[in-house]
Amino acid sequence: MWLFLVTEVLFFGGVLCAYTAYRIWYPKEFEAGSTALNPLIATINTFLLLSSSFTITLAIRSAYKGEHAGLRLWLVATIVLGTVFLCFKAREYYGDYEEGLVPSQQKTLVDTVDESGKPILKEVSVFAVNLKHVLEEKEGKAKAISDKMTWNERERVQIFFMFYYSMTGLHVLHMIVGLGLLVWQLILAQMGFFRPTERYIYIEVMSLYWHFVDLVWIFLFPLLYMAGIHSVEHLHF
Amino acid sequence: MTPATHAPAITPSTQVLELDYTPQTAPPVTDLDGPPAVNYLNHAHGWLSWLLTVDHKRIGILYLIPLTVFFLCGGIAAGLVRLNLLTPTGAILELDQYNKAFTAHGTIMLFLFLIPVIPGILGNFFVPIMVGAKDMAFPKLNLLSWYVWFGGAMFFIAALLIGGLDTGWTFYPPYSSKYSHTNVLFAGLGVFITGFSSILTGLNIIATVHKMRAPGMTWGRLPLFVWAMYATSVIQILATPVLAMAVSLLATERIFGIGIFDPTIGGDPLLFQHLFWYYSHPAVYIMILPGMGVINEVITCFSRKNIFGYKAVAWSSVGIAVVGFLVWGHHMFLSGQGIYLGMVFSVLTMLVAVPSAVKVFNWVATLYKGQITYEAPMLFVIGFIVLFTIGGLTGLFLGILGSDIHLHDTYFVIAHFHFTMVGGMMFAWQAGLHFYWPKMTGKMYSDFWSRLAAVVMLVGFSLTFLPQFVSGYHGLPRRYPYYPAEFQLWQILSTAGATIQGIGYVMPVFYLTASLFFGRDAGANPWRATGLEWQIGSPPTPHNFDELPIVTHGPYEYALPSRYALETEPHHTTNGTNGHAVAGNGVTSGH
Amino acid sequence: MSDHVQKPIIFEEDHLPPATIGGSTLTFLILAGLACMATLIGFTDLGPAKVWVSLAVACVQGIVLTVFFMDLRHGDKLTWLTAVAALFWTFLLFLFTITDYLTRQFFAF
Repeated sequence: MWLFLVTEVLFFGGVLCAYTAYRIWYPKEFEAGSTALNPLIATINTFLLLSSSFTITLAIRSAYKGEHAGLRLWLVATIVLGTVFLCFKAREYYGDYEEGLVPSQQKTLVDTVDESGKPILKEVSVFAVNLKHVLEEKEGKAKAISDKMTWNERERVQIFFMFYYSMTGLHVLHMIVGLGLLVWQLILAQMGFFRPTERYIYIEVMSLYWHFVDLVWIFLFPLLYMAGIHSVEHLHF
Repeated sequence: MTPATHAPAITPSTQVLELDYTPQTAPPVTDLDGPPAVNYLNHAHGWLSWLLTVDHKRIGILYLIPLTVFFLCGGIAAGLVRLNLLTPTGAILELDQYNKAFTAHGTIMLFLFLIPVIPGILGNFFVPIMVGAKDMAFPKLNLLSWYVWFGGAMFFIAALLIGGLDTGWTFYPPYSSKYSHTNVLFAGLGVFITGFSSILTGLNIIATVHKMRAPGMTWGRLPLFVWAMYATSVIQILATPVLAMAVSLLATERIFGIGIFDPTIGGDPLLFQHLFWYYSHPAVYIMILPGMGVINEVITCFSRKNIFGYKAVAWSSVGIAVVGFLVWGHHMFLSGQGIYLGMVFSVLTMLVAVPSAVKVFNWVATLYKGQITYEAPMLFVIGFIVLFTIGGLTGLFLGILGSDIHLHDTYFVIAHFHFTMVGGMMFAWQAGLHFYWPKMTGKMYSDFWSRLAAVVMLVGFSLTFLPQFVSGYHGLPRRYPYYPAEFQLWQILSTAGATIQGIGYVMPVFYLTASLFFGRDAGANPWRATGLEWQIGSPPTPHNFDELPIVTHGPYEYALPSRYALETEPHHTTNGTNGHAVAGNGVTSGH
Repeated sequence: MSDHVQKPIIFEEDHLPPATIGGSTLTFLILAGLACMATLIGFTDLGPAKVWVSLAVACVQGIVLTVFFMDLRHGDKLTWLTAVAALFWTFLLFLFTITDYLTRQFFAF
């Protein structure tokens, strides 16, 4: 399992490397993109995942001790925590969709000025317009960030959002696989597969995977959500 | 269980009696051993017994059949390309057909043939036997990885059949994102899935080598093929996920029409190349290392000598696996990457030549004063050493930043990597196939035809690719269907060579198939080799070893014939005419 | 067939009992504390230092998670080697790729 996790580390390593490269190029755009995300849901999700890592360690212990009720309880708790995470995640994606923060090729026209200060009509993507709205609604520093940005920079925030969707999307996929494994372990537990000090290794190995999913989130959280500027007043679901 | 270090006591007097330094060269004319009555081929029947098998040997055969088909498909695509290049304005293909033909050739040969061929077939078949195990560490996972691989390959073939692919095997955006009208998604999915299979196989082999070794099979006694497979597996595990990520990001871009490699929103297409070559440069070592492993087995057998510098060869495999990760930027010297980084990569590229050269020198030293015989596998090995050395040395021209500016993307590059991939890997694969065919099937193929095939391949190959060094050096760029008329002579020579080569590759299909029906029984050890795999019947029984083998010395003890012959006394004769008790077989039975 | 049944020993025999409830709880509390810290950092404006500070916190969290929850502290040498290899190769990937982005604007002559 550790060997398999090596491949997972490098899999996420690939996208993190790409992320780093662009963050070096476009620090401002990444900050703006992160500011537009929903920090409240992310924070709640962080704690949910950490708790689920905790419950699965307890499940290993119960399996080792042969406490069937405890084992089932902790497995169910882990599954519930994971599922709630996914529900929040879905809510978050829906929120982003409603705000129009989805990179696309759709274009629209806006009034702006060219380099010499002459008013012109410029073709920009719908995404950039939506981003401007979202940041301005957040007021304060978020608005200040938005005001300083040119339209070209707003376009580039799409790169941040491509990272946001692909990284969290892959993480969600891994979670779904993990939940499937957990359910399988639960069924095994129900069938009395685990006996004291025997076979608990199955849960232990599977827990490695689950912890790894948690580990990925631990890094996604500061890189995606906490890279921007958030203020407590504008927290919402 | 007897402790691993147990070896039969040899008193000085018995040694004097038993030591026989007459090297044993010619294969035995007759071999009294028939195939085992129950072997892995006949112990179960029917399609299902093959498709649901968890026997590593059967899975090896499951790889063999589609891989041969894929190789012939890739070969046909190559033939189309070569025919088209007969005239300066393209002989038979439209422009986009030409793109599709060379892409099909590259992708099939790399992803569906060179990468899985030796790990899939020989690795599966022989790694467990060589370490003295009954099967892989995870037999079911092994079957799963065959299904995953086959599914991925089918995706790939589907992509090529419905409309083809025109991106080149490298999938560079924006060729593969904005400007391609072909099935990049399907093909990408195919790459992703076959990559997953490659990871699973790698995991399995690593676990097998770590956990399944027979008593006495220390790391220092592992056959070098196992070492090479181990190093390959390490690369597979470390590199493949990054390719998977690169392809996923590319697929995202392709699906949504917008993505992180898209320069219009500030993306950098070069980033894809970084991620791609992080996998694909080590991938060339995934291709060549198993081949190098096979060479060790064959060259010791047919020069009747221990390998020269066992440790050096073993560690050079590991060295290649590590250093191979440090050089990927030499594919990108002229693509706009930082010039200083290019210099660093150029220097590091020189470094990777060291372990490769260590291997070549050790092989040549192994040949020195050996009792060399020229059976077909040995002919392939000699071809390998010559061609791979040329390929490796021309690689240095390309690795040096300055000369690469001139040679980049010319036929020189084509010739270079075909010398390593075809002249190296393809010949190593043929050597391995011919060496192990008697073990895998229990049948001996035609000596004459196999030697002829080796010579035909060597001649055809040289005629195809030597001219390309010349035309490439004069600046003929790769991948164009049209070319200036002054290059036509070289192109015609190449095409002629390709035709001869094609004949050479088809020949084994016929005589090996014929050997299944008309070949004589090979016997347990037709080459009188010393490896563990030759001490069991051909074809092997379903569980390889009837008794747990206990290994008492290294894999290439050709210089010490009969040392442990006391153990197998009834069969032993001092002049070694009896096929299976000769040449220090290194195996005793456990109790 | 002989009496010897060669059993694959894939998983190391693990004689150590799993972590105690108290130990797990402590680990969890540490992780949760660090997560609070990460959140706090997220809501303050530290300028360019922010990314480094929050990554440092994430690394500490990651180490705690792997060493205690994933039980790396009881792992054998091979497990450690595997974990270190993963980090090292990720480092290689970053090293060369990021070097490219940092040096691309320099011209040699």
